[in-house]
Amino acid sequence: MMAGRFVVSSASVTDLQRMAELARRLAGADGRVDAVALAGDAGVLAPEDGTLADTAGGLAGLADTLLVYEGAGEYLRGDMWAAALVDAVGRDGECVLVADAPAAREAVARTAVSCRASVASMCEDLQRAEGGGFVARRSIYGGVADGLIALVSTPAVCLFAAGKFEGAPSGESVPVEQRTLGAPAYEVTHVGDEPVVRTVDLAGASVVVSVGRGFVKREDLDLVDPLVSALGAELGCSRPIAEDFKWLPKERLVGLTGESVTAELYLALGISGQVQHLTGVKGARVVAAVNNDAKAPITRNADYVVVGDLYKVVPELVNALRSRS
Amino acid sequence: MRIIVCAKHVVDSTEIRWDDEHDEVVLRNLPTKISDYDRNALEAAVVLKESEPSVDLDVVMIGGEAALKTLKEAVAMGADRGHLVEGGWDDPFDPLRSARVLAKAIDQLEEPDLVMCGLVSEDGYNGVTGAALAQLLDVPYLAPVVGLKVDEGSLEAVLDVGSALRTVKVAMPCVVAVDSAMNVPRLPTVLQVMKVKGDRVAKMSLDSLSLSADAAELAHAGELVGSESGAVERRRVLIEEAPDEAAARLVEYLRQEGVL
Ligand SMILES: Cc1cc2nc3c(=O)[nH]c(=O)nc-3n(C[C@H](O)[C@H](O)[C@H](O)COP(=O)(O)OP(=O)(O)OC[C@H]3O[C@@H](n4cnc5c(N)ncnc54)[C@H](O)[C@@H]3O)c2cc1C
Repeated sequence: MMAGRFVVSSASVTDLQRMAELARRLAGADGRVDAVALAGDAGVLAPEDGTLADTAGGLAGLADTLLVYEGAGEYLRGDMWAAALVDAVGRDGECVLVADAPAAREAVARTAVSCRASVASMCEDLQRAEGGGFVARRSIYGGVADGLIALVSTPAVCLFAAGKFEGAPSGESVPVEQRTLGAPAYEVTHVGDEPVVRTVDLAGASVVVSVGRGFVKREDLDLVDPLVSALGAELGCSRPIAEDFKWLPKERLVGLTGESVTAELYLALGISGQVQHLTGVKGARVVAAVNNDAKAPITRNADYVVVGDLYKVVPELVNALRSRS
Repeated sequence: MRIIVCAKHVVDSTEIRWDDEHDEVVLRNLPTKISDYDRNALEAAVVLKESEPSVDLDVVMIGGEAALKTLKEAVAMGADRGHLVEGGWDDPFDPLRSARVLAKAIDQLEEPDLVMCGLVSEDGYNGVTGAALAQLLDVPYLAPVVGLKVDEGSLEAVLDVGSALRTVKVAMPCVVAVDSAMNVPRLPTVLQVMKVKGDRVAKMSLDSLSLSADAAELAHAGELVGSESGAVERRRVLIEEAPDEAAARLVEYLRQEGVL
């Protein structure tokens, strides 16, 4: 296997571990994996959820060095992140792996332009291509297909979907090397932040009940409350409910523009099952649905579908669940 | 003030299907449109123009002859003129190519104060083109933008960074990428689209941008080389009974699956 130098970076420690593990596999025994962290005025900005010592420990056996770029400013900015990545790639970096996060796309895009690299977004896996370069696997056209993207020019810059790290670090903390970023290329004045409180963890819920346009009025969503509590579920929804009608906050949106679930059970009520919605449901073990149209796409993409009026079926489901226990 | 909106001509992504028989994504003969989020960018630009009539608003689009109709739709939303860069198919898997062509096209036009685009294109979903364009133009990039205010050469934007709504201020020129939460785009009427006469849409060839299709600069930086169905195999059991019986049956199945 060819040896190369890989650069990995992420806004969270587990994503950084995931990127490093993949890079380690591709770099081979003689290759190098350099992890990039950014530190600013108020401490570490990337990964933001651990101290540098945690991060260096978490990379044991996965990366060779943790490069810490000081001077990144007040918050994680895409242009500063890109400056760090470009420096870390240097002359001989072969591949850059970054997990998706706010600012990550700007970081990846600027890095790719600066390094005359090739780039792919939404990557799920990466392989070496025969004859050089890399091939990234990603979901394409909203989830209609899985595609293979050839990344021909080097370095290859890959933006991965955010996810979980399943492995475990082993051995000693990786050595930390401090570097300093120059002044930002662009002046951006930070006026202020209004915190957004997230109350839902759809991605981690074990049962998700989602509502769609089969519900006629906002008040009708009350119908699902007893079902949600009987199942101990989290409430999700399709795009029209969150974005067009704004009946539920966007954090409850399932699909391409929203969350991807990993639930044991996903129950879709009055949702037609367009690919942009279903792409967020791929990770569910069992998919059930209630829809009054036996030809709706959801019927070909679910395990169990009650063909019927949700206004009648949902209360009966609550009864059936209650009488069972 | 001058604004350029980069809008993408795409096939309607909700119509794209996987063809099991030929093992391929079917893109032929599908309706085409302005990419979703670019409509939010156009709307935001038109709103700025409505509040400040001196705003001069251009739309730039890459595509073949078929994109002309889409470009007219974009102009009909309220732009002054449109520019079609005859660069062939705007490959969703090569966003760096799109950014390079757009940057060259923008270089040919009167210098903008503000370049706007959608956060992602609905076919590629990369979220790379706008930021790559900012890098090529050497200006700041703000995304995902959900609020905008222009004030004497500077721009105040609200960004949805997940954990917060962040307000930042930059001097123009800059590139902003608009999120769908920013607004509800207007739909131009058929009559408004018809009223966009030929003199409001100009064509630019790649040659005139000193880019030819095979130039090294446009060499593929990312290319789709294979695909397979993205569908997950499911059991597809239909339960067609009276509501109470159907509900009981579903609960029974779910119990057997061990998910209750
Ligand atoms: C770029 C892009 C990104 C997108 N991202 C997302 C995304 O992240 N998430 C998402 O969900 N969508 C997304 N969409 C939109 C997606 O294509 C669909 O339009 C959307 O999912 C449809 O929502 P729905 O199923 O609730 O509504 P509809 O498609 O209108 O379906 C409603 C369903 O309810 C059924 N129904 C009606 N009345 C009843 C009743 N009384 N009882 C039972 N069933 C009933 C109907 O038969 C129908 O199947 C995206 C689209 C684009 C272009």
